[in-house]
Amino acid sequence: MFKAEKVDHSWARAVACGVAAVGVSFAAVAADPARAQTTYNIAGLADFSGPYADIMKDYAACRQGVVQWWNDEAGKPLGVKLNVKDYDTRYDVAQTASLWPGIRAELEPVAVFGLGGPDVAALQERLPGDKVPMFMGTSGYGYGWKPGSWIFNARATYPHEAAAFMEWFRQKRGGDGPLKLGIISSEASPAYVDIHKGMEHYAKENPTKLQVVEVIYAEVQPTDLTQQVNRLVRKGAEVIQIQTNTAAVVATQRALQSLGKNIPIMVSAHNSLQASGKAVGGIQQLEGSFESYGMAVPTGEKTQASEFHAMLRDKYKMNANFNVPCLMGMSQAFVAVRSIENAVKDAGGKRITGEDVRKALLTHPIPSEQSFGVLPDLKYSEEAPFPVEGLSVNIGSIEKGQYRIVAEKVPVPKVTKW
Amino acid sequence: MDPSGVFATSFRKDLALVRTRGQWAWLIGFLAVLALLPFFAEARTLAVLTSIVIMSVVVLGLQITTGMAGQINLGQAAFMGVGAYATAVLATKAGWPIWAALPVGGCAAAVFGLVFGMSAVRIKGFYLALTTIAAQFLFHFLVLNLPSSWLGGSNGITVQPAQLPGVRFDTDASLYWLVLAVGALMAFGAYGIARSRHGRAFVAVRDDDVASGIMGIDVVRTKAVAFLVGAFYAGIGGGLWAYYVRFVAVDQFTLFNSIWFIAMIIVGGMGSITGAIVGVVVIRLVQEAITVAGPQIVEHLPFLGGDVVFAAMNIFLGGIIACFLIFEPKGLMHRWAILKRSYRLWPFPY
Repeated sequence: MFKAEKVDHSWARAVACGVAAVGVSFAAVAADPARAQTTYNIAGLADFSGPYADIMKDYAACRQGVVQWWNDEAGKPLGVKLNVKDYDTRYDVAQTASLWPGIRAELEPVAVFGLGGPDVAALQERLPGDKVPMFMGTSGYGYGWKPGSWIFNARATYPHEAAAFMEWFRQKRGGDGPLKLGIISSEASPAYVDIHKGMEHYAKENPTKLQVVEVIYAEVQPTDLTQQVNRLVRKGAEVIQIQTNTAAVVATQRALQSLGKNIPIMVSAHNSLQASGKAVGGIQQLEGSFESYGMAVPTGEKTQASEFHAMLRDKYKMNANFNVPCLMGMSQAFVAVRSIENAVKDAGGKRITGEDVRKALLTHPIPSEQSFGVLPDLKYSEEAPFPVEGLSVNIGSIEKGQYRIVAEKVPVPKVTKW
Repeated sequence: MDPSGVFATSFRKDLALVRTRGQWAWLIGFLAVLALLPFFAEARTLAVLTSIVIMSVVVLGLQITTGMAGQINLGQAAFMGVGAYATAVLATKAGWPIWAALPVGGCAAAVFGLVFGMSAVRIKGFYLALTTIAAQFLFHFLVLNLPSSWLGGSNGITVQPAQLPGVRFDTDASLYWLVLAVGALMAFGAYGIARSRHGRAFVAVRDDDVASGIMGIDVVRTKAVAFLVGAFYAGIGGGLWAYYVRFVAVDQFTLFNSIWFIAMIIVGGMGSITGAIVGVVVIRLVQEAITVAGPQIVEHLPFLGGDVVFAAMNIFLGGIIACFLIFEPKGLMHRWAILKRSYRLWPFPY
């Protein structure tokens, strides 16, 4: 009789299962936005061959480290990846100005990491038209205190930071009279001039709190300031403010030693106690001096910021020391990545632009926890390129030969525009 | 030396810069390529060329003062700064249009340069170099210490884009064309000065100011005019810079910039107008090559570190300049002249 052939359907079943599996996985990918990543570029202006080349390694590595961490922890769930490309500007306005059109065309960045004055000078008139915000790791300047800026500082101005220290020190000193302040400055740079003008303005508005006994104009890299410092001593200066560079700190400290006087020096982040101590021949020589700025202080003490740095070093193989340049790089990176994060959330899946990032920065505060204690709570507004309210600083000092944090979250008094 | 078969039949033809139809064709073609560049060049290339043309104007002035008249000048960046500030003040506070602000800015720089030029009539060499360095410090001091309502003080001055009726120069291409037009005019003027009796007087004073005086050249006037003209060129370059960057601040015009300008005329060839332009192009292109190559090297050799690679490459750039001083102090134009001569004489040695 007719015998029906047995047909083997196993291969057909296997093919059908395979097609179904592929179809399901495609559907899963399409449905899962985290899998489809959007990449945004950030242009990193750097100085590898100019006056700040020696600190650039830690600075650039730390800002790159923050971005890598953000990509993993915050970017992945949002389906966003940030890519930072560094460009050497040699800290030169002409170089930055000639690099920018190419950077804009090549990267179409949503943000720029700026380094210092030349970047601001070269780009401040172009960024509003190009609609790309720039984030700086340095303090702001009085001449940059304008509304509607596209260049933002992670910290307020140097006079803000110094004023906070002066008020803290005055209260620590006790007594009724104003604190007598001597300033070592230089006319070599408009930035230096701006700092002491800001302090003079603050002292004028607060005569019961601060009195500037004299502003000493020194060379940009002074070698001997004995005569000048002696003038400050005779005028009764109780603290000497130096927010220019380490050379000025060294010359002043040598002058104080030769005069046998023990007047504390207050420095900033870029000429920190660590850097100045190294230059003067040992941090112990700056015993009793202070540094004051609006970000974490990199002492050997365990802090939230130091633990975050250790995590970046261990998990992401970040090759950078925990010092002020590293913290400056982290500061600007945190402000940028948190603004981008807020912009992405606000956009709800649409592609964001530099304008969206700027808007997010101005509308969403960045609490200190989001920067792991590197920065205080930050709230930006159209009024200025840096937060003008709710500011605080951290103060470090050398006590018994040890670099320590002596005060945290010291409030910044009201400083008006000069 | 003219190509074989080419000879002038009149004094006018003998003086001509462009002597053959072939040379005219090359020149017109070159200018056409420059003019059409924005249509096919990348944004970065355009930006680099814009800065090259601006610097060329400044360095042309330095070539006239130092290369042709032999007056060492380490204050050219200060003169550029004076021109930039003058142009910025006229454009922003007085609302002058570019066609008025730019030449007056140049004149302001010329007057400032003349002040230091008057010192050149009594001193030379090292002492003149020190006096022109004083120009840098004086410029810095004046800007930072005069009332900030005058020159902006430490705040600097923001400049709005240049405008002509119907045209606003706020794009890379339009800025390039503006700068190119002014640069071409200034280069044409520089060639004219070099060929004129003033140019010959400059060269005579450079070669031997005593003999020039005996021959009847007014040495005092010649030296002063050299500074005046050189500073005017620097001022025009500064004005163009102000419209290009649209923000002028005193730390954009430092002694370091003046030294770079000197290096550019050394590399190009002192005394040659074309050499000034060549020097600017060579040095800027090497700087750009460093900026481009540096990240690639760091990417492929990460153990070196960005700081080592970039620093080494800039030492290399400084080394190039030192090599020129040692092995070819007359600059690239001297090499080009030798090459051209040997090509034209070939196969004969002389």
